[in-house]
Order: sequence, then structure tokens, then C-alpha cells
Amino acid sequence: MARASAAALSTPETESILSRGTRVRGRVHGDGSLRVEGAIEGDVQVSGDLELDEDGSISGDVEAGAVSIGGQLTGDVTARGSITIRAAARVRGNLGGAEVILEEGAAFAGRIEAEFDLPAELSVRPGMRGQSPAQAERGPHR
Amino acid sequence: MAGTIIGSGLTVEGEVTSDEDVVVTGTVRGKLTVEGAVTIDAGAHVEADIAAGSLQVGGSVTGNVAAGDRVDILAGGRLVGDVKSSRLTIADGASFKGNVDMDV
Repeated sequence: MARASAAALSTPETESILSRGTRVRGRVHGDGSLRVEGAIEGDVQVSGDLELDEDGSISGDVEAGAVSIGGQLTGDVTARGSITIRAAARVRGNLGGAEVILEEGAAFAGRIEAEFDLPAELSVRPGMRGQSPAQAERGPHR
Repeated sequence: MAGTIIGSGLTVEGEVTSDEDVVVTGTVRGKLTVEGAVTIDAGAHVEADIAAGSLQVGGSVTGNVAAGDRVDILAGGRLVGDVKSSRLTIADGASFKGNVDMDV
């Protein structure tokens, strides 16, 4: 079947790979997981997990299952699972996920919105999530 | 060197350039410029002009293709577009519509 060449690789759970020497200018979307070792200039939307390798870069918004970032990312990230920003990563954008992990050494500029319930003593101002009203209104969405 | 794999569920709309090998089992719309070998697997859908070191078509390709080395249209493969390559094979069971320029 068509999957024969993909199955020969050592990472069977990765359905798509953009390798080191590969550059995409445009939109990448669809089912399955994606590993990016090269560069994408454009939005990425996948049903599976996204892994951005140390040498990889993405300039565009990302929507995926779990997202693991080791390279350079400029854009907003929306994950249905966790977002992991690894030590070598440089990320600029807003993150929205079920869980956000920021490793020591990573460079990050942006806002984090993780889906969790605040303890009762912190949730006296509903909807504010601990930020000032001015911040909430401004919202750095592009 | 693993090369690039555009998996069966994935769609790339835009321009793909690579100096490695590229295997497409999904969909590409736009332009594909590759220095290495390009393999369009059965089930893949490519609407793009392709420039490659070599090209193997087992799926469906609509677009003009140029290869430095060779173009092979496999049984079950479908190519609609012009071919520019010094070597070309069209297997029994392949479909092809277009002009061929073998650079003679």
C-alpha cells in the first residue's frame, strides 16, 4: 500500500515528516501527526501531534493535538493536548492548550492560556483569570 | 537521511522546496521543487508543477513536470501535463496526457 515507504522509517507514529532540507511556503493541514525539521512559512493544522525539531522553524499559527516545540516558532499555538516548549526553543506568540510545559532555557514571548480551574480563593473575579482588565481588553491577537 | 514524507492525510497548499528526497502519499497543491527524488505514491494527489532530480508517479499528478534524471510513470499512475526529461518510462496500465520533451 501507499504507506510502505513511511513504515520503513524508525518512527512509525509519525505520519508526515518535513525534513531538514525542506521548506514549505503555504498552508499545511490534514490528519495524522507531523514532525517538522525544516521550515514552514504558513499556518499548520493537523489532527495528530506536532513536533517541531530543534533545527525546525514555523512562522504561522499552529493547531494540533499535543505540540512539542524545540525549534523556532512565531505564531499562535492552539493544542487539544499539552504544549511543551523545550529548552532549545524560541517561541513568540500566544499559547492555548490543556497543559503548558515551559522548560528551563527556552525563550518565550507571549501569553499562556491553559485550561484549568483556579483554586476558589483566586477565582473571586470570574473571567479575569488573574490578569488586569486592561490586559484582557487589549489582547495581543493579530 | 530520512527525507520528507507528506503522509496520506496531509494536504500542503503552497510551495514546497527541498534538497532531499520527498515522498508524497497525501495531497500537494501548488509547486514542488526538489533536488532529490520525488515519489508520488498510489493514492496521492498532486496538483502542482514538479521540478525534481527524478520523479516516480504511482498516484495522480496534474501539472508540468521536469526531471534532471528520469521520470517513471508506474502502473496505476496518472500524469496530466507536459514532461521534460531525458528519460521517460510509461508502464503498462499507466495513464498519461501531455507533451514529452526529451531534450534531443
